[in-house]
Amino acid sequence: MKELFPPKQVMGFVLSLTLTVVALSVYFLNMSFAVGMTVLLVTAFVQAGLQLVVFMHAGESEDKAAIYTNVYYGLALALITVFGTLLAMVWDM
Amino acid sequence: MKIDNSLPLEYSTEENRLKVLGFWIFLGAEIMLFATLFATYFTLFDRTAGGPTGAEIFEITPVLIETILLLTSSFTIGLGIHAMRLGNKKAMLSFFAITLLLGAGFLGFEIFEFVTYVHEGAGLQTSAFTSILLTTLGTHGAHVTLGLFWGLFIILQVKKRGLTPETANKSFIFSLYWHFLDVVWIFIFSFIYLKGMM
Amino acid sequence: MDYFDRFAIPHPSPVIYASMVAIGITVLAIIAGLTYFKKWGYLWREWLTTVDHKRIGIMYLISALLMLFRGGVDAIMLRAQLSVPENKLLDAQHYNEIFSTHGVVMILFMAMPFIIALMNFVVPLQIGARDVAFPRLNALSFWLFFMGAMLFNISFVVGGSPDAGWTSYFPLAGNEFSESVGTNYYMIAIQIAGIGTLMTGINFMTTILRMRAPGMTLMKMPMFTWSSLITNLIIVFAFPVLTVTLAMGTMDRLFGTNFFTTDNGGMDMLWANLFWVWGHPEVYILILPAFGIYSEVISTFARRNLYGYKSMVASMVAISFLSFLVWAHHFFTMGQGALTNSIFSITTMAIAVPTGVKIFNWLLTLWKGKIVITTPMLYSLLFIPLFTLGGVTGVMLGMSAADYQYHNTMFLVAHFHMVIIPGVIFAMLAGLTYYWPKMFGFMLNERIGKWAAWLIAIGTLVAFMPMFFSGLDGQARRMYTYSESTGFGIYNMISFIGALVLAVGFVLIVYNIYYSTRYASRDISSDPWDARSLEWATHTPVPEYNFAILPQVNSTEALWDAKKKGHVLFKGEYEKIHMPNNSGVPFIMGCIFFAWGFSFVFGMWIPLILTTIGIFACMALRSFEKDHGRYISVEEIEETETKLRGAN
Repeated sequence: MKELFPPKQVMGFVLSLTLTVVALSVYFLNMSFAVGMTVLLVTAFVQAGLQLVVFMHAGESEDKAAIYTNVYYGLALALITVFGTLLAMVWDM
Repeated sequence: MKIDNSLPLEYSTEENRLKVLGFWIFLGAEIMLFATLFATYFTLFDRTAGGPTGAEIFEITPVLIETILLLTSSFTIGLGIHAMRLGNKKAMLSFFAITLLLGAGFLGFEIFEFVTYVHEGAGLQTSAFTSILLTTLGTHGAHVTLGLFWGLFIILQVKKRGLTPETANKSFIFSLYWHFLDVVWIFIFSFIYLKGMM
Repeated sequence: MDYFDRFAIPHPSPVIYASMVAIGITVLAIIAGLTYFKKWGYLWREWLTTVDHKRIGIMYLISALLMLFRGGVDAIMLRAQLSVPENKLLDAQHYNEIFSTHGVVMILFMAMPFIIALMNFVVPLQIGARDVAFPRLNALSFWLFFMGAMLFNISFVVGGSPDAGWTSYFPLAGNEFSESVGTNYYMIAIQIAGIGTLMTGINFMTTILRMRAPGMTLMKMPMFTWSSLITNLIIVFAFPVLTVTLAMGTMDRLFGTNFFTTDNGGMDMLWANLFWVWGHPEVYILILPAFGIYSEVISTFARRNLYGYKSMVASMVAISFLSFLVWAHHFFTMGQGALTNSIFSITTMAIAVPTGVKIFNWLLTLWKGKIVITTPMLYSLLFIPLFTLGGVTGVMLGMSAADYQYHNTMFLVAHFHMVIIPGVIFAMLAGLTYYWPKMFGFMLNERIGKWAAWLIAIGTLVAFMPMFFSGLDGQARRMYTYSESTGFGIYNMISFIGALVLAVGFVLIVYNIYYSTRYASRDISSDPWDARSLEWATHTPVPEYNFAILPQVNSTEALWDAKKKGHVLFKGEYEKIHMPNNSGVPFIMGCIFFAWGFSFVFGMWIPLILTTIGIFACMALRSFEKDHGRYISVEEIEETETKLRGAN
């Protein structure tokens, strides 16, 4: 039974629940928008990284470089799209 | 078909390695798909046109339950893949079944949430905000629904054909998809719900 | 009968009725011909169910050429209408429909399949692979593109064409101002074709990353393969944006959502924004493979290696990233502040730098080269000056303050045609002529080919240079007529003459295909141009498995090394070869998608649900299917190889 629950994944799960609880603090505690957004940004991206490395085994195959390049490239373009759109459509309109 | 026994089953043939890499590239495309939805959401979220705002309709309880269901399912599918690598077919199938049940539970709560929104006057046509809210949640929900059928097909195939390079490869790719949906949900949870209720 | 009214054309004219008859006759003729010559089985076995990248490439090529003529006829009609002031040839509505379809057809259903045709045919050969990574997916990509294109093309005889421009800006494209189903066709046909393109992107990225011949590291890939890799990278990240944008547009039109509406909080400008988040990378999706073709052609016919290989690669990587950073330059005048415009101005001008690097690399390749002027080389040499004209006017347009003068004028129209025609079309025609012998086993006539190249180049200049002047004088694009007092008449008449010259050039290409098919010698070598990379190392016609033994590579020009430096390409014994099986599912799925799209366009919900189930049924079938492909035995390979060696 024990070999079915590798410590790495169990730790990962515990950590992801913890991150969720930390993120929830923005709802239950009273904090400014800036602090709240910082908390959310940090917890969300750490959580995503956790899934990628611990659960999705992104780094295990010989295509590691291609896979990480692809994900980072996608992430960079995603951020550019989101913030570029906000800049052109909302903040600077 | 050349089978390389030094690697886990899901990587054991060249065809399998191609499929895993191809699926990662597809996930890159999915990142952009959801990024576009998020870009639209952030642009439109305060354009409620007299309709309900996020703070008015979001409720923490169902959202929190959905989050925990999905996080747990992401954990169990990870265990399923681990069991598969140990060659333990029975444990693997159990973990896959638990994953799909948790996924179905998530979907149930999401449907309940949608019905509540529509009752409260936040339908698809109400305002720009509700249009993009329901579309973003709906796109994620549609992915989960597709995943439930896909996972079911894989369980049936593993049951019938056993753990072969082919079925192991499918199972592994399915696990990538499922984890990815979890990642997307984290962003929905953080930047749509929690930010909206902050 | 009310039910059937929706299929009627809202603005019929004799031309459209004539087209209906012509389409009907053509379809009947094809069916009759296939039956008479008993070719149905051949068509099904060899083409409709094929998963061979070479055949799929040829099917893309045929579709692209057909669409070139559809879009070309549109162009001639537009130029004819504008050739004299106050012309009555077309009314405003028809003019709107024609410029909308001209743009969509030329970009998405002509240029895209043309580059994908060459990628399909060339990339696996150039990297020494036996097929693409996912052959069945490749067939599905083609059929989705093809069915999307057909769905779009029937719009002008069933229900009405889209009329809101190829950019389909809201609120014009909304239900209020575009009442016919035309814009539904736009949203859904492009959606179907776009999903196919996305799959192509994933397929080719995987192919290039994992299936290269032994010894071919990334920095030893031929330049066309590099350009294809970068193009497909852009496809993978840009097309999902289009998918979402079109889906939201569709929902606004059919489900009453409020993404791009002008009330209930909708934001019409967001359409323009998201459209160009996809649209600008799309420009580079078109131009990079073209650059790849030029690199191959110029180095082959300058008889030397490509100058500045590393800087070529670096500039393409830079372009791939910058292409996602410039989209707002398409709407500098929409009202955002100086900050945004300045940022996007700077990124726009920055992207001219890597492009300039490439131009200088080609010039330096020619420098000290022993230039042989063949038809593909002629296109490449004509490309450099003409494209530079288009490019520098792009930098002018990129200055946001000055753009207030140029925006939405014929100056812009002149700019993008001067970029796309010399950039993409010349490259595709060069590539067509260059790879024709590998595809079909004979060469196109050089004399007719060069005539066509000169006519097309002169036609381009005559047709588009006047637009720079009329645009600066204030002639707006997309206006169906103008008064005599504007003085635009002379410019537009010259443009019309240029368009006719272009038309003659394209007809000459068709004539060349006909002439060469009849008269050209079949006795050519497998390397008729004395080229440098692997696609010329295999036989002509290319056997199904491409290479009997996978080639060994030690530089970017493996074949040249084999010819001149004694490098041994093929080492070892024949082994049995694993090949994928043919499948009818991609074609059938394509047909279901066509029915799905048609039902969606007309809001016929029951067929829509049924076809949706059909699509998922095909996917489920694929999941349960056991298909391990087949093997070609060593004896079969020996037999084929002996036969082909005899032929050369």
